[in-house]
Amino acid sequence: MSGLVLKGITKRFGGTLAVEQADLTFEEGALTALLGPSGCGKTTLLRMIAGLEAPSTGSITLGKRNITDLPAHKRKFGMVFQSFALFPHLNVRENVAYSLTISGASKTAAAEKASTLLDLVQLSAMGDRRIGELSGGQRQRVAIARALAQEPDVFLLDEPMSALDAKLREEMQVELRLLQQRLGITTIVVTHDQREAMTMADSIVVMSNGRVEQVGSPQDIYHRPENAFVADFIGKANFFDGVAEAGGIRVGDQTLVSKSKFHAGYQVRVAIRPERAALDDAEGPNRLPATITFVRDLGPHREYHLDTAIGPMVVEYAIGEGARPMKTGDHVEVRLPPDALHVFPHPTAAMAAE
Amino acid sequence: MSVADGIDPPLGEETAPARAPFRWSRVLPWGLTALIALFCVVPFLLVIAISFGRKIEGAAWVWDFTFENYQRFFVGTLWPDEVTFLYLQQLGYSFWYAVIASILAVITALPFTLALTRLSRRAQAAWLVFILSSLSLSEVFIVMGWDILLSNNSGLPALFKSTGLTDWLKAVGWFDTLREWGLANPRNVKFKTSEFATILTMSYLVWPYSVILLYPALSRLDPSLSEAARTMGAGNLTVLRTVTLPSVRLPLFGTTLLLFVFLLGTYVAITVFADPSKHTTAVAIYSNVRGANLNAPFGATQAVILLVSASVCLVLGHTLNRWSEAR
Amino acid sequence: MMRGIGHIYMALSAIVLALPIVVVCGAALNGGRTMTFPPREPTLARFGEFFIYETVWTNALGNSLIVAFGAATLAVLLAWPIAYLLWSTGSRLSQVLAGLGSLPFAVPPIVFGVGLGFFWGFTGGLGEIWAGVVSHAILLMALPLVTISIGLRAIDRAHLDAAATMGATEAVTFRTVVLPQTVPYTISGFFFVLVLSFNEFIVMFFVSASSYATVTLQIFNSLRNGYTPTMAVAAITFIVVSVLVFSAVARWGDLPRLMGADQSRN
Repeated sequence: MSGLVLKGITKRFGGTLAVEQADLTFEEGALTALLGPSGCGKTTLLRMIAGLEAPSTGSITLGKRNITDLPAHKRKFGMVFQSFALFPHLNVRENVAYSLTISGASKTAAAEKASTLLDLVQLSAMGDRRIGELSGGQRQRVAIARALAQEPDVFLLDEPMSALDAKLREEMQVELRLLQQRLGITTIVVTHDQREAMTMADSIVVMSNGRVEQVGSPQDIYHRPENAFVADFIGKANFFDGVAEAGGIRVGDQTLVSKSKFHAGYQVRVAIRPERAALDDAEGPNRLPATITFVRDLGPHREYHLDTAIGPMVVEYAIGEGARPMKTGDHVEVRLPPDALHVFPHPTAAMAAE
Repeated sequence: MSVADGIDPPLGEETAPARAPFRWSRVLPWGLTALIALFCVVPFLLVIAISFGRKIEGAAWVWDFTFENYQRFFVGTLWPDEVTFLYLQQLGYSFWYAVIASILAVITALPFTLALTRLSRRAQAAWLVFILSSLSLSEVFIVMGWDILLSNNSGLPALFKSTGLTDWLKAVGWFDTLREWGLANPRNVKFKTSEFATILTMSYLVWPYSVILLYPALSRLDPSLSEAARTMGAGNLTVLRTVTLPSVRLPLFGTTLLLFVFLLGTYVAITVFADPSKHTTAVAIYSNVRGANLNAPFGATQAVILLVSASVCLVLGHTLNRWSEAR
Repeated sequence: MMRGIGHIYMALSAIVLALPIVVVCGAALNGGRTMTFPPREPTLARFGEFFIYETVWTNALGNSLIVAFGAATLAVLLAWPIAYLLWSTGSRLSQVLAGLGSLPFAVPPIVFGVGLGFFWGFTGGLGEIWAGVVSHAILLMALPLVTISIGLRAIDRAHLDAAATMGATEAVTFRTVVLPQTVPYTISGFFFVLVLSFNEFIVMFFVSASSYATVTLQIFNSLRNGYTPTMAVAAITFIVVSVLVFSAVARWGDLPRLMGADQSRN
């Protein structure tokens, strides 16, 4: 067995296109996050991988085996559902042992496997509890143990953290990642939370409107977004619309120096991360006069909201960085380093080009 | 497709689409359809077919295709020489009793159900047990109870007499009014036979049904609606009039229709409490099919007419309930 | 204030609702043959007559039990596939089946009774007790159809997907996930049919053709001869059975939910 490969996967529901021409490779033993806003088709894609939906076109292969037409119950990819979908009429142990029980394993074998898995998710003492008696975090652990009981080739999780509160969510992300690395199991997690994706994933697939926007490591996705959508969806970014010129971009009546690869006259959108813009006296191009309109102190970092000639923007400083504190109404200069500027085709121009 | 070429073809048994249906799932619907058609549809078709049949004097009946029975129902056998509306009048009484009793039941059940939905879940369950027990209680037992309560030598009339209420009524002069309404004889109040007793019993009969039918709609009423009205200065009665009642208007009407249909078939209460001259179509069906008259085709005709009236009301009520749920 | 009035109104309604029932129960204690309230010469002898000595009543009670249990079992068996089809496919056919299955319960029972009378007359079931069982099962099938449908709709669809990803075929999912979760609803449907069949007499009157009688039918038949205190004993028995059955449904099932209460508020 080796990785899972999707080729040209498309899914139509009636007239609407839920997933369009997805070509993806999931490396063996890696954790991949399908990341995107709600309704972007990531859950549909996961359900097609699980065999719960049949793709309209395209093929799915696991290792050398074509599994496109294999029904879910024969793929037996363990899956953790958003609602956890634990059976209320069974207790914790029976839930975990479900896949073994229905495949005809002996009672003792099933019970043994169930206790091993409950140990793994640190719920050894909870085997005889009813599902209704568990907390959200415990339910999630049971759901994970249950999906792993069948020793699946691929482990799927659909928004596994959405039913947990914020603090528990962070803990479970780390714990799940550690568990996955220990077992070395090919894992696909659907999420709309970029922090969650960046915490856990080896590789992130960013999706929007049924299309794969970018695939890459968390660092790639963050530092080298391939289009305006990814730059906007992953982390924060300031955007300016402009027109490409020789050696730079014209935004309003200002020209920003940038290593743009676009022909002159092309409609573009420029993005810069708030922490890459600087309010300092360092030499360099792209210095714009600005007025501070709002200051927000968030503890670990401080945000300055600015009004500039090319539009409003946000600059972010970690505490201790940026020597002198500034206040609302101060007149300053903001510096946009050319290598921090990401230039993308303007979304409407990009659409017209297709 | 160079990559796909090197891939093993899927195993034969695994080519079924995801979510393979049961093998017997092809047969099951048709078997069920046959069963349902046989038992739920054929009996009604038989009633309709036989309603066109003909009775043989001194014998049973034969298949035929005559409208005689329908003619008899609407204008009498001797039409056009002579017209009688006896059977239409019976249908009229069916409608009259059923309309009044169902409206009465819904009006009195509404405040009860409203109060019920505001109780705790456990208390609601306890009340529902009581309501359901009374709902399932056979018409014969209910009529038995009211018969004892209303009959002339026991129950309420006896109570009126022994407590001196009768004498008081006579003294005040209301007794004469009661006599005019047919609710008293020269000596004491009497409730049998009277329309009052008939409608009272019929209304009692469907009262638990109206609670059960109103319950879902009322329990889904959003309490924040009336709270919002209250914060805008509406008093309790104003809230009831401007918020609660308008939002349950459709289920209220739908429930009344369903109860009305149910009451069209009332038999025991009518035979016990209504004057023979004011009997209904249901009683006539009974006496034609199994009772003294033995005229099955004519009984079937009356059943068809009852069925048609009922169906029209059911469809109307169903549509209204749909509407109200969709909103 | 409003709440207080509500409680008073509920109490008054309960009293009126209980009035004829209390009167019937009291009448069962009459020593003589006539029904009077309050009872004269109170005695419990009528209970013996009803349950032990008078074969008319013991036979009728036996028939009532056979018809009620038979009809309840049959109605549940008929309603299950229809409800399942409606839930799993939602097809036009299943909607029509569910509609037709509920038809006999929706129209005045006297019409369906007349129809079944003709039907069994032609098919040879008239006066047979099995025909009575089938008749009641068809008449009351609408009840388990509704309760089972409510139960099926309460199942989280993700449970079915979860079972599938763990290797369960549809048949296995049905056995291990769907069936266990709908047991309370099935039992409720069974009990609803049981109680209503026990109390039904019009349809039974037309299909029994006077060759056998259930308890309510027996009372219906002797209507013109007047009531006797023994009949009141029957009434008490039936009330007790109803209360016990519905208490059981409330205890082990979710009665407010079955009756259509809003789930979001508890």
